[in-house]
This record gives sequence, C-alpha cells and structure tokens, in this order.
Amino acid sequence: MLLSTSSDFNSRSKTITVGVLLTLLLIFSFSSLRHESWLRLYDFFLWLETTPFGVLGKTWGAVFAIVEAVHLLAMALLGGAVLISDARLLGWCFTDVPAVKIQNEAHKVFKVGLVVVLFTGVFMACGVAGKVYWLPVFWYKMLALATGIFFVFFIRRPMLQRNFRELNPWVVKLVAVSSMLVWITVAATGRWIGFAGS
Amino acid sequence: MNEFIYNISMWVDGTSWSAKLHESYYMYNWVESTHVLTLILCLGMLFVIDLRMLGYAFRDVSASSIANRLNIPMLLGFIIMFITGILLFYAVPIRTSQSIWFRFKMVLLVAAAINAFIFHKQMNESVSSWGNDARAPSAVRKGAFLSLAFWSIIVICGRLIAYDWFDCEYTDAGSLSQVLSGCIDGQTQF
Amino acid sequence: MNEESKSQRMMDDVQVAAVTVSASIIVFFVVYWVIQIQSVIDLLELAYG
Repeated sequence: MLLSTSSDFNSRSKTITVGVLLTLLLIFSFSSLRHESWLRLYDFFLWLETTPFGVLGKTWGAVFAIVEAVHLLAMALLGGAVLISDARLLGWCFTDVPAVKIQNEAHKVFKVGLVVVLFTGVFMACGVAGKVYWLPVFWYKMLALATGIFFVFFIRRPMLQRNFRELNPWVVKLVAVSSMLVWITVAATGRWIGFAGS
Repeated sequence: MNEFIYNISMWVDGTSWSAKLHESYYMYNWVESTHVLTLILCLGMLFVIDLRMLGYAFRDVSASSIANRLNIPMLLGFIIMFITGILLFYAVPIRTSQSIWFRFKMVLLVAAAINAFIFHKQMNESVSSWGNDARAPSAVRKGAFLSLAFWSIIVICGRLIAYDWFDCEYTDAGSLSQVLSGCIDGQTQF
Repeated sequence: MNEESKSQRMMDDVQVAAVTVSASIIVFFVVYWVIQIQSVIDLLELAYG
C-alpha cells in the first residue's frame, strides 16, 4: 500500500509540485503575507547598497553603465537561445535538424547568457537597491524571472529530453509560446524599471 | 566636417516633429525601448552565428545553415533598430551628433558592416569545404571575433550616450574631446 | 511492460505540469499587460485629452 502510494507520487511528482507551488503563490499574492514579507526585506535591500557591488555601482556611473551594457549583451545571448529553441519547437526554423539537437545546443548558450544576466543583474540591483525596493515593476520582474528559471529547469528541459515522438504536439507548442512570453516579460519589465525610477 | 554635421542637426532640430517626439509623453520612451529590446533579436541571432564560426556553439549544425537561416531574423531586427535609431537621432539631433559616444558608435557600425560584408563573402566562397566542421577556418573566425568585439563596443557606446561627462558644455574649449565631439563655438544650448 | 508504463506515466506527469505552468504564464501575461496598457491609455488621455 505504502509502495504504491510512493510510486503514485513519483509518477505525479512534477504535477503535484507545480500544483502546490501555484497554490502557495496565489495564497501569498492575495494575502497579507506578501506585504509583510516585503516589509521584512527593507533592511536587506538597504544592506545591499552597502556591499562592494553597491558602492562600486553608486560611485562610478561608468562602471554601472558598462555592467548594464554587458547585461544587455547577455540578454541578447539568452534571448537568442530562447528564440531559436522556441522557433524550432513551433516548426518555424531548422526543421531539417533534429529538434533535440537544437534544444541541447541552445540550452548551452542559454545557460551562459543566464549566468551573466544574473551576475550583472545582481550587481546593478545592489547599486539601486534602495530605489527598486519601492518599484512594483521590479518585483514583477523578479516573479517573471523566477518563473522563467523554474520553467526551464523543472519543466521544459526534462520534458524535451524525452522522446519527442511521445510528446503531444500541442503541449510542445504551448511550452514554446509560454517560454517566449515569460522571457519577453522579463526583458520588458526590466526596461520599465529604467523608466519608473527616473 | 563638424560644421556640416552641426548645420544638418540644427536643421533637423528645427522641424516640428523633432520637438514633438522629444517632448512626447511616451512615444520617445517606446521608440527607445523598441531600439534597446530589438537588440535581443538582432544581436541574439548575430552572436549565435559568430559563436558557431568560432566553434563555441551549435557545433553539430552546419555553419552555412546557421548563418543563412538566422540571417533573416537578424536583418529584420537590424532594420527595426536602424529605423528606431534614426527616430531617436531625429528627436535629439544636436546633442546626439555632438556626443563622442554616438560618433564612435557610428564609426564602429560602419566597421562592423564592412567586416560583415567581407565575412559573408569569405564564408560563401569556402563554406562547402568546411561547413560541417566544428570550427570555421581562421580567416572566417577572425571575422566572427571582430564582429563580436565591434557589436559589444557598439552596445556599450550606445549606453554611454546618455551620460554627459564629455558633453560640450562640460569640457574645455579646444580640447581633444571637444574636437572629436564636434563642439562648435556659439552653438545653441538645448 | 512495467518500465514502459512507468515511462509513459512520467511523460504524462511532466506534460500535465507543463500545461499547468504554461497556461498560468499565459493567463498572467494577458492580465498583466492588459492592465499596464490600460493604465498607459488612461494616462495619455489625462495628458492629451
């Protein structure tokens, strides 16, 4: 009895995890927990500005600007990888190359882009932490970013490493479209932060 | 040469749409955002092509396949960036034309275009022999490396246009910075 | 046979999870951007009449 329960869980583990996380997220978003957590983060954000990254970014505008430019370049790498792999899933390009090959190669480029984007993003956030703390659009970007990362590593990658023929083609298309949407949202909200703070 | 650029910028600045775009509530921001975000499309494709030539990405996919198919979305992105770039210049012509970063960026754009032309010519002539190799021959790799370098510096210069450290009113008359930026005596303050 | 059905169940699991997350992303995207665009339209109406 116990064995079959655990195997049931294993065969539904991703669905259950997603269901639990989504429920927790909804509860968090629509309850006072959200506001309370935000209040508790205030000291942390003030501290971020005192870190070496924060001090460097605030003192030398040139450093901040160049890090921001590198952030853009890494975004191009990340976005390029996302566009190529999603376009392949939608059958828009490289249809003569096995989809698995495109996915695997694009994922390598994606990971490099993601690491640089995260590093430069943290650097910049430290420099302007006191300001972005108050911007709703910054928090939406963090939500979109977390969703994107979770989606890629927990859902998309495991799914696409299986045999493509066994996948429902509509599920594949849905994954491709939502992948593009989530990363477009991350980029657009990022740009908006630049406007909202000034 | 500087006088010529200045006169054209003054003329553009005098057009009513230039002021309208510059002072618009959102339009300028949208044009700028489109310009910045489209680089994800344009440079995303370009970087993958260059990385393929250097043998760092998509090594198992034929090089000509990568270059020829990603070219189209890259050019689409470039056209959008070019048009939005012209609009951005059109909105703020004088300061932009006298920005040392903008001038450097334009020079690099021309260099990148020449490099791309040479690179494509070399690639098309020889790709049948090395298209499925993991790395392109050294001449093509040099072109790819230069392309990456040029475009990275172009993006950095583009970002620095917004900063006023080398603006005409903050630098000394007759200094190298002023000569390179094309600051003209008695120019209109904007 | 057992391995095959286990693999099939895992495949269904990841696809169901994928559909759930994808649908959530799309719903959030539509709601969020409709609200943002509406607020831009309201602001422009205020600014330009």
